[in-house]
Amino acid sequence: MSSIITVSGLHKHFSVPKRRAGLWGTLKALARPEMTVVRAVDGISFTIQPGELVGYLGPNGAGKSTTLKMLTGLLVPSEGEVWVNGQVPWRERERYVASIGAVFGQRTTLWWDLPVVESLELLQHIYDIPAARFRDNLAQFRALLDMDSFLDTPVRSLSLGQRMRADLCAALLHDPVLLFLDEPTIGLDVVAKERIRQFIQHVNSEHGTTVLLTTHDLSDVEKLCNRVMIIDQGRLLFGGGLPHLMERFGGNRELVVDFAEEYPAVDVEGAAVVARDGLRVTYQFARQEITASALIGRLSARYRIQDLAVREPEIEATIRRIYEEKLLESP
Amino acid sequence: MRLFWELSKLSFARQLNYRAATLAGLVTNLFFGLLRAAVLEALYGSREEVVGISLQAAITYTGVTQALIAFTMIFGWYEVMDSVYSGEVASDLLKPMNYFTFWLARDVGRAVATFLLRGLTIMAAYALIFPIIVPQGAEQWLALVVALILALLVSFAWRFLVNLAAFWTPNALGIGRFAFILSWFLSGFLMPLRFFPDWFQAICSLTPFPQVVNTVVEVYLGLLTGADLLRALGVQLLWAIGLILASQLVLRAGVRRLVILGG
Ligand SMILES: Nc1ncnc2c1ncn2[C@@H]1O[C@H](COP(=O)(O)OP(=O)(O)OP(=O)(O)O)[C@@H](O)[C@H]1O
Ligand SMILES: [Mg+2]
Repeated sequence: MSSIITVSGLHKHFSVPKRRAGLWGTLKALARPEMTVVRAVDGISFTIQPGELVGYLGPNGAGKSTTLKMLTGLLVPSEGEVWVNGQVPWRERERYVASIGAVFGQRTTLWWDLPVVESLELLQHIYDIPAARFRDNLAQFRALLDMDSFLDTPVRSLSLGQRMRADLCAALLHDPVLLFLDEPTIGLDVVAKERIRQFIQHVNSEHGTTVLLTTHDLSDVEKLCNRVMIIDQGRLLFGGGLPHLMERFGGNRELVVDFAEEYPAVDVEGAAVVARDGLRVTYQFARQEITASALIGRLSARYRIQDLAVREPEIEATIRRIYEEKLLESP
Repeated sequence: MRLFWELSKLSFARQLNYRAATLAGLVTNLFFGLLRAAVLEALYGSREEVVGISLQAAITYTGVTQALIAFTMIFGWYEVMDSVYSGEVASDLLKPMNYFTFWLARDVGRAVATFLLRGLTIMAAYALIFPIIVPQGAEQWLALVVALILALLVSFAWRFLVNLAAFWTPNALGIGRFAFILSWFLSGFLMPLRFFPDWFQAICSLTPFPQVVNTVVEVYLGLLTGADLLRALGVQLLWAIGLILASQLVLRAGVRRLVILGG
């Protein structure tokens, strides 16, 4: 199968005027500004196959949004090549964007002062969607995203979660083959996040839409992505399956136990006590050594337990570990 | 085409909602119109006409130019700039539509609404106060409509071009202010261009700006007839085409340079 996205040697450099200290410095900067080059994306290559759902991860400022802007035709690369769906995104922008959907979580693509439904209807004309298909898609998406309660509300009055749902719907009405999502779950509550995840999953599996998404939420990645790519400082550090990633670099998981009574010692093989606060004890354990259920089994055989919770290491921490400890050189 | 219509309609409806702003604009335009009429009346003194323009025509001139202010946004328009600086431009560029046409459609809706709400009202008020000149016959009315449409196209393309500066620099506001003062001054808004010395008229005629105001008013007043009228409309059309093409070219270059912030 041939790739739907091919990125090779992609760079994006920004020139930012350097600030100089003092009055003299300011004057000199005015006359001849000295530029600092920010290498937001610094030589990235990857391919994505049709139908994949890929997570694009990295710490703040890693270059995720910049990459997505280039993939959606909003930015022209400084260097390197991008082919998406047989096209170069920025070359024939108008034709290209008709085949993709994009949601940049931090801003809406809808019209601020229009009711949601009017915004969506305007999109019908913009994308020239046949009336019947528009009706079908809208009916389907509004049910899946539970949009009925706010269809007539102006976009500016929507809650963040509602706006995100409306934006997702807007990005998909024209049946794009590709969907780019930049932090689609940012700032949402657990229920809203879950609904959005299910929707993305649905679009990917039912419509075969290829999805590339960035997020800082490990659960998004865990529940959705078949594959992750991790970048930092504009470079790709890892590409592969999430289980593989967590196995290698995930660090330790934690088990928080509330015991039913006070025990003098609460040790157990395979896990170390890292915190103890009254009846609550926190253990750390490595996934390579013991599964959560085996550990819980051992504990409950020995002690009476009130409640417990497993804590996964956070993706941010994992990513940090990966580059701080130089666990990976570029693949 | 359907999209153009829908966008215009939305923008038209939005304009109708700005009731307080419309009223305030109307009152201001009318007030300054009357002031300008009074000044001209004093300048004319006992003279019947100046360079072929009667006092009645001169007063009508002030009315028509005041009525054109909102229609062609003579004093400036910064919406595209705002959209670039707020990052909204990204949403629009993610959609398969020509960015120029998108804004033109919205501007047409806005212009038609302000024409009806402000332009016509000002003319009606003038008609109540002064014995103003009114175009005669179907031909002149038709010419006026054509001139108004072309004036809007020229003005829009110019305003759009100025706004595109925002694609290059993070502080294009100053450029905009200067450009709009220049176009206002050379458009013949202040006084009919015929009042000015030849060299000044020559400079103006090298720019598109008289096409936005002066030509429209001369058509309205019936100062142009026959071949002169056709030539004037032809020149307007050429400027419109030229500026629209220039906008498209500059837009294309701008989109490649544009740096979308945030995210
Ligand atoms: N227009 C710009 N001018 C200068 N520097 C920029 C510009 N856009 C991005 N950068 C810089 O490029 C780097 C990458 O930014 P980018 O927005 O792609 O990060 P990100 O991975 O999306 O981060 P986050 O997770 O915080 O959204 C950052 O250091 C940022 O400061
Ligand atoms: Mg980002």
